[in-house]
Amino acid sequence: MKAVLIGAGQIARQHLTCLEGIAGVEVAGICDLAPSVAECAAERHRVPRWFTDHRTMLAEVRPAVVHVTTPPGSHFRLAMDALEAGAHVILEKPATATLAELEQLGRRAEQSGLALVEDYNYLFNRAPQQMLHRIDTGELGTVVHVEVSLCLDILGPSGFADPNAPHPALGLRGGAIADFLPHLASLAHLFVGRHRAVRTLWTKRSNTVLPSDEFRAVVDAERGTASLSFSSASQPDAFWLRVYGTRMQASANLFETRVTFDGLRPGPKPLRPFINGIQEGRDVARAAVGTLMRKFTGGPGSYEGLFELLTRVYRALQSGAELPVTRTQVLEVNRMVEALKPLEEAPAAQPLRLAGGRDGSRP
Amino acid sequence: MKALVTGAAGFLGRHLVSALLDRGVEVRALVRPATRLEPLGWPASVEVVRADLRSARDLDQAFDGVDVLVHLAAAVSGGEDAQFAATVVGTERLLEAMARTGCKRVVLASSFSVYDWSAIEGTLDEDSPIEPVPDLYERDGYSIAKSWQERVVRRECEAHGWDLTVLRPGFIWGRDHAELAALGLQISRLHLVIGPLTHVPMTHVENCADLFALAAVDPRARGQTFNVVDGEGERIWSFLGEVLRGKGQRGLRLPVPYGLAHRAVQLAFATVFRRNLKLPQILIPVRFESRLKPLRYTNRRVREVLGWSPPLDLRECLRRTFEPEGPRAAA
Repeated sequence: MKAVLIGAGQIARQHLTCLEGIAGVEVAGICDLAPSVAECAAERHRVPRWFTDHRTMLAEVRPAVVHVTTPPGSHFRLAMDALEAGAHVILEKPATATLAELEQLGRRAEQSGLALVEDYNYLFNRAPQQMLHRIDTGELGTVVHVEVSLCLDILGPSGFADPNAPHPALGLRGGAIADFLPHLASLAHLFVGRHRAVRTLWTKRSNTVLPSDEFRAVVDAERGTASLSFSSASQPDAFWLRVYGTRMQASANLFETRVTFDGLRPGPKPLRPFINGIQEGRDVARAAVGTLMRKFTGGPGSYEGLFELLTRVYRALQSGAELPVTRTQVLEVNRMVEALKPLEEAPAAQPLRLAGGRDGSRP
Repeated sequence: MKALVTGAAGFLGRHLVSALLDRGVEVRALVRPATRLEPLGWPASVEVVRADLRSARDLDQAFDGVDVLVHLAAAVSGGEDAQFAATVVGTERLLEAMARTGCKRVVLASSFSVYDWSAIEGTLDEDSPIEPVPDLYERDGYSIAKSWQERVVRRECEAHGWDLTVLRPGFIWGRDHAELAALGLQISRLHLVIGPLTHVPMTHVENCADLFALAAVDPRARGQTFNVVDGEGERIWSFLGEVLRGKGQRGLRLPVPYGLAHRAVQLAFATVFRRNLKLPQILIPVRFESRLKPLRYTNRRVREVLGWSPPLDLRECLRRTFEPEGPRAAA
């Protein structure tokens, strides 16, 4: 199966590393506006051809699958060109700058019978998959609520908050945090389904170019509720996922290998906290060793889910089976993302803005 | 003569601006938009252009009336891709703009990091091999970016028929920059000195700036590549001692034979660490070698071609690095 990449930056290199390990996939071309970036990625990953114009690449290589790994503002045009060239599309998150663009891409993909997959890599990390397994087996019971909390220092001068060159994500409504909303929304959607309404709070604590640097939301969804948050200030960096079931609560840090389960156990009720504590301590110690070993021995690290997702996508495309991320799922997640975004950017002089009580768009 | 200096507010850049002015060269300093100019203390004769090479439009205008581009701008920190974007893509955009102007001369600040440290034995000089592909991609982000930057500049100069001088400095040191990567591992007050008798390829920032200024004005530099070191280099053990004395610190130095440490790193990398390139730099053999391999260094070529020798000796360099600002300014 012939694949190409449009965009050859950091995330593209993760895709290339994944693709090197998938049987039956040939990366036939890579494209970037900067010739050195395209050529370097091609040289490094032994890709036979590199381009600076994506239309030339699509015409000359005629790929079956196009990975769009550029900044989000360019996704719509690039993905539409790829669909029109008859290729399946794998989009890095955020899929598009606006929901209207995504809906248009979705219609086009549906008309052509092509896949439109957004990268929800964290759904395919081991911890969420273990939680899903415990839901399937009934161990966790019914999911009541999910908490997704991303703590990430994005205030450094060389990334999103670079005062010298505006980061492309600042063009999104919600700024840098909007770049992470698909992660939060896709995890919430996985456990509690489509949203019905959201309440959000966007605030700014730092003196940076970012329009907002803290975000909180409560989501009412079809199978339960979710609370979502992003914090630039809270340290250390962590990506907490907590799933509350009627029989068990699960907790994981998706930046590490830590996952613990607190359940209703047989035996005397007064001993449950003790037994759960012992079990949790063992799980945390095992995860600490696992995280350390992962750092020493290499591998995808917290990108493990991307490897799993791409493997499943290509397996499905090759066999005609259902995709691990469906067009419907992508649309529903992005409707939640749209509802989570602020109505407009906060002016610098008004550091706190509340967008509470706003109904999300009903799917 | 007018020079456009990129990275002018950086560690080397701010000294180069002074060195060029001393040689009577008009200077247009390209600095990033958020740079604070007051601490630089430049005279009014220095023209300042604010631009970020990754995103600026109209870079052509920065070349108005410019005879020579002295290109120092490069990222020295950040992730691998961020360094590549700032160093290589920024260079690509700058030279694309230059091609639309009348400027036809480039002096590039490259680096010792472009050399193939694993292959070189004995003396490292300008004829030593540079890191080949694919081994280059086992190196750190800075080395990859600097190698690509030199590749891009050489290509463009050849394509447009421009005059090029490539200067490859070793470790540039000076005030607030005396902690060199070659000095080994520091764990609290303990310094593990790997290969204590190894020479450090080093150049004091003011000596380095003097050579860059000379290369910009001297026609004999055209078409040349020069390594920039002040001499054969101090030994790690004694230089670390000077640094500790200069900073008034009481660190403990523990010597570790280079061969022993190198073997241990090679063995661990191939077995326990499964050739993982995300390890700390010093645990990856090619990066270990590029910091610590015991080689000899020379500035013979630049002495022969340009007649240059470093204006400041080691004592004076140490004094200017560690003495309080007041007396230095008075001196």
